[in-house]
Amino acid sequence: MPIPRRAVAATVPLLVSALTLTACGSGGTDSGGGDAGGKPEGDITFQTWNLRSNFKDYFTGLVAEFEKANPGARVKWLDQPADNYADKLSADAAAGTLPDVVNVSPDLSYPLAKAGLLMNLDKEPAAAKFKGEYTPEAWQGNVLPGLDGSYSFPWYLNTGPLFYNKALFRQAGLDPEKPPKSYGELFAAARTIAERSGGRIATLGGTPAVEDFGRYGVRLMNDDATRFTYNEPKGVELLTEYKKLYDAGGLDPQSLTNTPDKTGQKFLEQKVAMNPGSAHDLETFKKNAPGLYRELGITDAPNNTGKPNMYVMGLGVSSRSKHKAAAIAFARFVTDRKNQEAFTHKVAVFPSTKGSLDDPYWTRDDGTDEGRVRVASAKMLKGAVNYTPVVLSEEMKTALKNEVAKALQGKKTPKQALDDAVAQSNKLLKQG
Amino acid sequence: MSRTTPWEKAVRYVLLLAVLALTVGPFLWQLSTSFKSTTEDVYTSPPRFLPARPTAHNYAAVADIIPVWDYALNSLKVAVASVLTNLAGASAAGYALARLRFRGRRAAGLAFVAAVLVPLESIVVAQFTMMRDLELNNTLVAVVLPGAVGALNVLLMRNAFANLPYEIEEAAVIDGANVWQRFVRIALPSVRGTLAVVAVFSFMGAWDDFLWPLIVLSDPDRFTLTVGLNHLHGTFQQDPRLVAAGTVVAVAPLVVMFACLQRYFFRGVGEGAVKG
Amino acid sequence: MRHVEHVRTHRAVSPWLFLLPGLATVTAFSLYPFLTTLHKAFTDARTLTPGGWVGLRNFRDMAQDEQFWIALRNSSLYVVLVVPFTVLLPLLLALLVQKRIPGVAFFRSAFYTPVVASSVVVALIWGWMLDDRGLVNGILRALGAGPFAFLGDEWLLLFSAMALTVWKGLGYYMIIYLAALAHVPRELYEAAAVDGAGALRRFTAVTVPGVRSTMVLVGALSSVAAFKVFSEVFLLAGPTGGPAGQDTTLVMLVQRTGTGLNGRVGYSSALSLVVFAVALLLMLLVLRADRTRRRT
Repeated sequence: MPIPRRAVAATVPLLVSALTLTACGSGGTDSGGGDAGGKPEGDITFQTWNLRSNFKDYFTGLVAEFEKANPGARVKWLDQPADNYADKLSADAAAGTLPDVVNVSPDLSYPLAKAGLLMNLDKEPAAAKFKGEYTPEAWQGNVLPGLDGSYSFPWYLNTGPLFYNKALFRQAGLDPEKPPKSYGELFAAARTIAERSGGRIATLGGTPAVEDFGRYGVRLMNDDATRFTYNEPKGVELLTEYKKLYDAGGLDPQSLTNTPDKTGQKFLEQKVAMNPGSAHDLETFKKNAPGLYRELGITDAPNNTGKPNMYVMGLGVSSRSKHKAAAIAFARFVTDRKNQEAFTHKVAVFPSTKGSLDDPYWTRDDGTDEGRVRVASAKMLKGAVNYTPVVLSEEMKTALKNEVAKALQGKKTPKQALDDAVAQSNKLLKQG
Repeated sequence: MSRTTPWEKAVRYVLLLAVLALTVGPFLWQLSTSFKSTTEDVYTSPPRFLPARPTAHNYAAVADIIPVWDYALNSLKVAVASVLTNLAGASAAGYALARLRFRGRRAAGLAFVAAVLVPLESIVVAQFTMMRDLELNNTLVAVVLPGAVGALNVLLMRNAFANLPYEIEEAAVIDGANVWQRFVRIALPSVRGTLAVVAVFSFMGAWDDFLWPLIVLSDPDRFTLTVGLNHLHGTFQQDPRLVAAGTVVAVAPLVVMFACLQRYFFRGVGEGAVKG
Repeated sequence: MRHVEHVRTHRAVSPWLFLLPGLATVTAFSLYPFLTTLHKAFTDARTLTPGGWVGLRNFRDMAQDEQFWIALRNSSLYVVLVVPFTVLLPLLLALLVQKRIPGVAFFRSAFYTPVVASSVVVALIWGWMLDDRGLVNGILRALGAGPFAFLGDEWLLLFSAMALTVWKGLGYYMIIYLAALAHVPRELYEAAAVDGAGALRRFTAVTVPGVRSTMVLVGALSSVAAFKVFSEVFLLAGPTGGPAGQDTTLVMLVQRTGTGLNGRVGYSSALSLVVFAVALLLMLLVLRADRTRRRT
């Protein structure tokens, strides 16, 4: 890729720091120009994933502020719609048109980083110097196995409680003020609800996904993430519990095919009694299912590890960016403490910058449901981990889902099903 | 003229109404949801078909979130361009395949058959790379090009021309009309019905397409309506009323266009309209 | 092609000028990119890596892939069970709305709405209708049957998706038939009526011969569409292809293996090639069957 004259011109006065060039763009595909350690200048593109509808003013404000502080840098904000984001990224990555700063979760950044398309932030001094601004858990959440470093600036985090429907609990003769706290209680409650409703009310809408195995305390992979291990006895134990639940009518009849979206919808329709969710769902309940909101109960999602599950979002920097300095500066600007806190005040997600969660906004319960869930979730985030292995591709998730279904249908024993899912996933992993 | 007895008429209407219930139910529900107000439960089971307190607020909200008119204009440009290129390209190719004798006709026909069969999922990335090489990525031209002459439309036109009696061109041949004159003056007017079908199909295809414009367009200013409307599925908040209002906005022009064109489907050779 | 044996009345280059725009478009944007697919089918390419030549390995893997055989079965069943309906029902519907009776324009437009309705909404509505406690089961219960797990059982799911395909195809193929019916001479119906032919006799003796070539075309096109089915099954049975993946179709498998950043483009291309080959075979079979029938 030829380096445009403008980029060269921007680099010339900064030859002194040209040494840093050797460090930028890990994976040996440093075909982009631009000096990462230089002054933030040039035109860059910034791509978010479906945030335009609710946060347009926030992002245009951010861009304006950044451009004001960095004359010479111009940011073009692109926002991609909800569906087919991975396909959009694939086409851009394959054609070499990836935006300079791009919104990714670790499962998306992993293949990009492996192909050498994202910058290794730990190896790039201009970026690594900001590491201390983020919580260690969040930074660690973006470190990719086998790739020796982190490939995106930590952005917002999310975790959440387990929601339940008090009316359905009451109908089944359970005390709506005493929700289950552990797995044992959860399974017992589900069985009771199924029995007392004659199988008409299911408790859970979906089958266990990989993060459920993680929270149950199953070891998902070996230490260097080269082999899946969720078929160990602990995993078989969880699936056996689910099998009993399925047979008793504790799972939705369509649980074998339900997606998380569909499960959420079933909860809104009051067809299942419990569903995992997060703080920002309260708004949805209030607006779209006021009947449910009046009967909404909130409890901690059980886990056997002491570590709740969390989802992490980040901003990656293209290793082929022509204006690396500007790209790094902007990615860090969007994820700095002030801007993250402003963003997470707008929607109930959580900042990943150090010290942010000690702010009273996330520690003091103001008596509202939102406040209660926010504070509880913020507390959970300390020590939370992203259980979903970054090497787990969509195809491997499908393999797990379908093998779990076979176990629940009784076509295979739980042990056999998990062995098969692990074998298929390991085969895919080896090919990758 | 065959006469319709009252009894036959009644059966006809009963059947029409039965099919009607099957076909427009979903659309009406969509319309109804789009008029539901924010305090109304949209997840009742069974679904409630009439809004308790109808409001047009959702439409205003859609226009507030995304520049609906700009996107609709982009979609309109793409769809109209696609209709024109398809009418011209597909009728010309269909005419050649059906009415002209030449060496290589079978191979040419096979090329269109093969093109109908190609699984689109497998070529999207290659198409995108090609557009980038042509420096057309991120333009509306790139959105139109791959479907500019749909192979399916060529086959439809070929079938329509093949069904015309050969005699209708004979007189013109004797009068010394060349192939272009025969095509424009005689063949085309005789297949108005199929031309209307091709117009509807290509308008709809261009207007509804999601994956290709999503891949090829990056700049939000150039989004087409279907891509833009996908923004209504918020990341953190889902509002089915907004989604419904958005889909009504997207579907209404198609229904209107169909309603305008449907009378052309009934015009065949030498008859202005079919009388019942 | 009945009118082939005529003197040539045009210059040799004319047909190619007529064909140029269409042929150029499909060659450049469908056939040429498909050559890439053809090549990749013999490599271990992934979304972000070009991969190397692996010969027939993808095809050998396919033969051992349990999902492939399930998908091949489902896609083939789809053709067998869906096509008779998509060829016949839209023709009957077209006959129903062909007559100029008051309000018919409204009905014609209304029947076209399933074609344009957004797939998300269609999925939602069909989901509600077919739910364990949905409309269809409500009706069945009133008749003393059911409830049936339309969305939970692998076979019922597949049949439900087929019904959805037929439903969406009604309006689509109806308008193709409408255009063709306009060319069936009125006099033939009148002659048949004079001969005292009933509705059924008029249908088999006049309508069917009159729109035969269109029926063949619709048959060929809907066979290919049915074999390449994706969205209806994806919407009703979910992205994983129904319980334990038992409802996966071939194109779903192409999409599952080949898209995303980890896509196994090589394997997925090999699957695409199989889809293409079988679809071509289907199309040629339908057209050939028509030709032999016409000769006899």
